[in-house]
Amino acid sequence: MKTPNKIEKLTSLKKVVSKPAKVTIRKLPTGVRGLDEILGGGMPEFSFNIIGGAPGCGKTTMAHQIVFANATHDKPALYFTVLGEPVLKMLRYQQQFSFFDESKLNKDIRFINLSDVALDKGLNAVLEEIIKQVTAFDPRIVVLDSFRTLARQVKSDAADVEVQAFVHRLAQFLTSWQATTFLVGEYVEEEIRDNPLFTMVDGIFWLTQVTERNSVVRKLQIIKLRGQATVPGLHTVRIGNLGLQAFSRTLGLVGSKTKPARRRHLSIGVPELDKMMGGGILEGDSLLIAGPSGTGKSALATQFIAEGIRSGEPGIMAVFEERPDGYKQRAGTFGLHLKAAEEKGMLETLYLRPLDLSVDETMQEILDAIKRVGAKRLVIDSLVGFEMALAPGFRADFRESLYRMIGALTGAGITILSTVEVEDTFTGLPFSHYAISFLTDDIIRLRYVEIDGQLRKVMVVIKMRGGNHSKDIREYVITDKGVVVIHPRRTDYTGLITGIPQRTGPRKAQENETAPEPKAAS
Amino acid sequence: MFARRLIDNEALESMSSKTNMSAFRVTDQLRPYLSTLMGTGGFRALISRALALAATEVSWLRTVQVHADGSLEGVEQAHAKLGSDEFSEGRVVLLAHLLELMAAFIGEILTLRLVREVWPKVPLNDLDFGNKGKK
Repeated sequence: MKTPNKIEKLTSLKKVVSKPAKVTIRKLPTGVRGLDEILGGGMPEFSFNIIGGAPGCGKTTMAHQIVFANATHDKPALYFTVLGEPVLKMLRYQQQFSFFDESKLNKDIRFINLSDVALDKGLNAVLEEIIKQVTAFDPRIVVLDSFRTLARQVKSDAADVEVQAFVHRLAQFLTSWQATTFLVGEYVEEEIRDNPLFTMVDGIFWLTQVTERNSVVRKLQIIKLRGQATVPGLHTVRIGNLGLQAFSRTLGLVGSKTKPARRRHLSIGVPELDKMMGGGILEGDSLLIAGPSGTGKSALATQFIAEGIRSGEPGIMAVFEERPDGYKQRAGTFGLHLKAAEEKGMLETLYLRPLDLSVDETMQEILDAIKRVGAKRLVIDSLVGFEMALAPGFRADFRESLYRMIGALTGAGITILSTVEVEDTFTGLPFSHYAISFLTDDIIRLRYVEIDGQLRKVMVVIKMRGGNHSKDIREYVITDKGVVVIHPRRTDYTGLITGIPQRTGPRKAQENETAPEPKAAS
Repeated sequence: MFARRLIDNEALESMSSKTNMSAFRVTDQLRPYLSTLMGTGGFRALISRALALAATEVSWLRTVQVHADGSLEGVEQAHAKLGSDEFSEGRVVLLAHLLELMAAFIGEILTLRLVREVWPKVPLNDLDFGNKGKK
């Protein structure tokens, strides 16, 4: 290896000096599932933030999760309580959450009540006490709960200035002491405009709670976070045993691996249909099967998953209408043994009919299952059932959220088959009663037609974004093998898609069928 | 019972360290810790409730008052008038009610954690917080 000469050494040194490194803002975990991703990786270290919103939104719970996730013996957390929820009650309720680790109490996490100081001596004394405690314990995280009640307690003529000065001095001190701080307070949205506090803080974590019909929807918005890019918009929040969980609008799929450039055709499990699709569905495509009840949408979905399992591609079936046992039983009658696949970890069936679920939560369940089994194929049966399982307040977001999830999953190379029930009309061929076809690459339409005095079934590939496909309308039946495409293209009928086709050729001789039941005597 | 053991333990520690022992030393020792946690007002409310409950069982406790800082008034006077068993009973019953209230609010685990902040070596067998068998 060549040894650098003096000039080269100087040049390299010059480079170092002329390009000083930018400060790297370390990100701390929040301990709130989904929130780190929304924040762009975590909370900026040494930031001074406010967790605001109306009562009952989960502000204190969020603060506790942050504290429990970060407090250590060497770098503890100080939780100052002021004129808000009594500490005994706070501890009583917070210990119900799984994140609450009682071994950290009064060691890694110290609760200090400043109510008396605030009531008897005012803001300056509160600041002095905070300085005293922070100097003594050198905390990583400091929480002041409730800051709103503390600020309200100031009743002098110059109250606003006094509170502003307090916040300024507090922020200056805590940042200098390398603490990441959270002021917790009950505020209404209008205050963000007028209250200077919101200008002074680095981050605003805003929680809201909206009631729509009988359901309650909690949302989180990161209104501001200096120093890093957050995921914009309102994110669903749920409070459960784990504490607060946030469901990012991007569903944590930002930066997931992209679709391979050369994509394979995957078999759907119906050989003739594969041919109609030019060899099968393209890997990473989203396929919509639309048709009325009883046309075999779920059967096709099952065959699609079973074919994947046969080819070594694990799958997820998200079922919203039919119970999984019924699903597996029917698959069994087609000779598809889903239970064995489940036992081998190749398949997971999600039966999702909860009340009040948000679309993002439901999608998170699906995404978790996909990660668990390493799924390559996903069935959503059906989109109508999916929408119905959501709380009314979330239905408005359904298509948008679905679009985001399908886009991200197919982008990651997962092949999706969704079903949607549509009513047969006799004048047209609708794909679905709501405009969701924009989020699919491929559409197959199933429908009933009346032929020779029988209600038969036909299918047609309407669209394939990634390639050419057959334009034939093909008749199919559902047998003990599942969906089987039978007749080649019928040229002796016209108007098949209307459901009541007209015969164009000569009528073939037919055997008279025996009536299933004798006619009633007239 | 845990309250009695705590008092006995504290008495032993005080004797070995030859420090002056106040009449309600365990309660006094707990006061600053609990006041830091819940505020002086919070501690005062809790000890007042414990005292009210204890006074229904030990009549002489009715003469005891709670100061604004949560300390107790009237204990020394009562101590001078009462036999040691009678006085000790009041001490145990009051502490038992205080611990019982804490356990009712925040659970036994957290209550014990707070107690062990003050007395790290207190044995943890027989964790009966209630005042059953106080004598």
